[in-house]
Amino acid sequence: MIPLTACRNGRSFQAMKKLGEIHHFGMLNIVSITSDCTCAGRLAALGFLPGCRVRISRIAPLGDPISIQIGGQEISVRRAEADLIEVEEAG
Amino acid sequence: MKQAAPAGAVRIALLGNPNTGKSTIFNRLTGLRQHIANYPGITVEKKVGAMELGGRQVELSDLPGTYSLAAASPDERVVMDALGGRFGHQAPDLIVCVVDATNIKRNMLLVSQAAELCIPMVVVLNQWDAAKRNGIEIDEALLSDRLGVPVIPTVAKRGKGLENLINALVRAIEDPRWIPRIQWPEFIGAARDIVRDGLAHLGVDVTGPEALRMVFDADSAFADKIGHKGKLSSLRKAARETIRSHGMNPASAEAVLHYSHLDALLVGVLGGDGMVARTRSSIDSLLLNRVWGTLIFFGVMSVVFQSLYAWASPVMSLIESGSEWVQAAVSPALAGTPMIQSLVSDGIIAGVGGVLVFLPQILLLFLFIAVLEDTGYLARAAFLMDKLFGWCGLNGKSFVPLLSGYACSVPGVMAARTLEDPKARITTILMTPFMSCSARLPVYVLLIGAFVEPSHGPIVAGWTLFLMHFVGAAVAMPLAWFMNRWVLRLKPLPFILEMPDYRVPTLRNVTIRMWERGREFVVRAGTLILAFSVILWALLYFPRPESVAKTMREAFLATQSAADVATALSDPNSGLSIKLARRIDGAYIAQSYLGQFGTAVQPAFDLAGFDWKITVSILSSFPAREVFVSTLGVIYNLDADAGNEATDLRSILAKEKWHSGPRAGQPVYTLPVVFALMAFFALCMQCGATVTVIAKELNWKWAAGSFVTMTTLAWGAAVAIYQIGSRL
Repeated sequence: MIPLTACRNGRSFQAMKKLGEIHHFGMLNIVSITSDCTCAGRLAALGFLPGCRVRISRIAPLGDPISIQIGGQEISVRRAEADLIEVEEAG
Repeated sequence: MKQAAPAGAVRIALLGNPNTGKSTIFNRLTGLRQHIANYPGITVEKKVGAMELGGRQVELSDLPGTYSLAAASPDERVVMDALGGRFGHQAPDLIVCVVDATNIKRNMLLVSQAAELCIPMVVVLNQWDAAKRNGIEIDEALLSDRLGVPVIPTVAKRGKGLENLINALVRAIEDPRWIPRIQWPEFIGAARDIVRDGLAHLGVDVTGPEALRMVFDADSAFADKIGHKGKLSSLRKAARETIRSHGMNPASAEAVLHYSHLDALLVGVLGGDGMVARTRSSIDSLLLNRVWGTLIFFGVMSVVFQSLYAWASPVMSLIESGSEWVQAAVSPALAGTPMIQSLVSDGIIAGVGGVLVFLPQILLLFLFIAVLEDTGYLARAAFLMDKLFGWCGLNGKSFVPLLSGYACSVPGVMAARTLEDPKARITTILMTPFMSCSARLPVYVLLIGAFVEPSHGPIVAGWTLFLMHFVGAAVAMPLAWFMNRWVLRLKPLPFILEMPDYRVPTLRNVTIRMWERGREFVVRAGTLILAFSVILWALLYFPRPESVAKTMREAFLATQSAADVATALSDPNSGLSIKLARRIDGAYIAQSYLGQFGTAVQPAFDLAGFDWKITVSILSSFPAREVFVSTLGVIYNLDADAGNEATDLRSILAKEKWHSGPRAGQPVYTLPVVFALMAFFALCMQCGATVTVIAKELNWKWAAGSFVTMTTLAWGAAVAIYQIGSRL
């Protein structure tokens, strides 16, 4: 069980970004889910949980939505929804 | 086929994520012994089939695919209600949980959630072959051991493993097994009790799992139906606060806890390194490519469109000539009773033909949708196009219904079922009739050919015809935006879409889909469309006083020389007789209830520059806009057997002048009138079949709203164009 806020301790806020703001295809770590709305619950059910490694695998021709690789699956989300997920670059 | 399950039948529910092959298993088990109904009060499909297991009758229901019991869409809400036996549902005796073997962990979340409900379960690991190909090794015996229920590997598409599944079901009915429930941490139990005990004080009994749903789900479908809104909302807030105070996000707590439970459960079950399906990623680099992906998308869609627009038409004209043939065959037998003859021929047979004529397009479209969905391409298409539609409340999946609308709104509206989000679905359905369907084309061709081409040349005429196809869409998109923002008070669903693996569709699934849709249209919408056809016939036929024919006959004969008349009229097929018959038909239309109504509303259409002939033709084409040209033909007393009515009509329309009133002597069809008329056709909902299908897909309120809005818009646009155009 990973507490919601634990990841923030000891890490700089600078390194954290919203997933919706990422424009490259590098590996990312999910730090937290920042909302408790239905959409956040839906993302969590699909496996978007703190500690998971994700990667943007495709960007739609018009820049939005983005397709995200998580585990063995690919999930397409709009950038606005991806913004609920806080990530950091995986080192 | 539609009767309720016999008493004592075992109820089995199929549960699973989308794209797991759940429906394939359902089709395999029940064959055609299945039917679709709607769940009470909502337009979510309830698929129920019958089968026999070990001598017992079984009612198998295929629940909508869902990732979680946390309900967001109406489809998902149904799942929780059906499993919990709430709100008019009966809880199943056994759950068959279909798990995609290529993605076990995520699929098992639903299994783990369903275990909470204490209903016996059988787990199916479908797409076993694909998992093997991806290098995933699964120890199903160990999994079965840990879960305490049978775990059956299958490849439903090829029918493999279904024998084992059936045997397991027979055993499970006699000797039910349960999956042990997850051990919640204490604070989750405390949060649950806050809601459950709080509700108990209000006299509402809910089960533990139901109380948990209200804690975990931000918009709990369950909470919406329990009542006690204010009190319940503060109970839920308190419960969620308890979770938050233990450092967890209440929205993700359930998933976090279930997944860590599953991690422990799956240790040693899953082996191998297969994580990424390589075929998928290489096909995706082509199909989702910025340039190639977009080109292929438009290529695929142009094939779909072409098939609806062009390939379906030979079959459609076959159906049309078939119904004409039946009319001709039946009519003579009823010649003694003109009223019955007209009812059977113009009302019933024409009505049946009018229903069947939609079938080729519906079947073709659902052939394509089944193939696109089953291959996994539809999700990619939605991904490519989403941004284009997102701004006005539609989403990427709206493209296929809207495109189909350019051929015909009826299959287009039905195609909107592929949208899970009710808000986007309603908007898409209401926008589809604005797309310029093929029935509008003859009107544009007639008017542009008669009035634009002679004065402005073929190039301008061609462009006018082309642009007319976008008038509806140009009005519809801002309207959708407006509706989405101000009218539809529904929360939009997040547009989260799984990109499924590419798969080869099976003939079996595709044909079952086409069969279901075709039958559904004929049975549910077809009967109503037929009824409307008969009502319209009556409005055009009655009151039919004999004096009308007599007066017309006398007036007509007065204009002919007496010598011709006697010989010509004795032969019913002579030119003169036919001319007279057409005149009388025209006079009857003018005198019919619809014609009288037309005269009554004429002042409203006068503002758009329409004369009574146009008005009556418009009114008679409300059930089906393609009737407009032929009604004009009848009113202008054209010979029915002329064959090329449109060409003849052109010259007649061009010569038509106002007989009286302030514009007496001036031509009726000026350019402003022509454009007002075309704009009217572009925007007006002149299609009884579409109204009926909207009512069946949504409800009568939406259908009526759509009809009134489109008709008002059409009238407003026509008046505006005429008033402004004639002052320029």
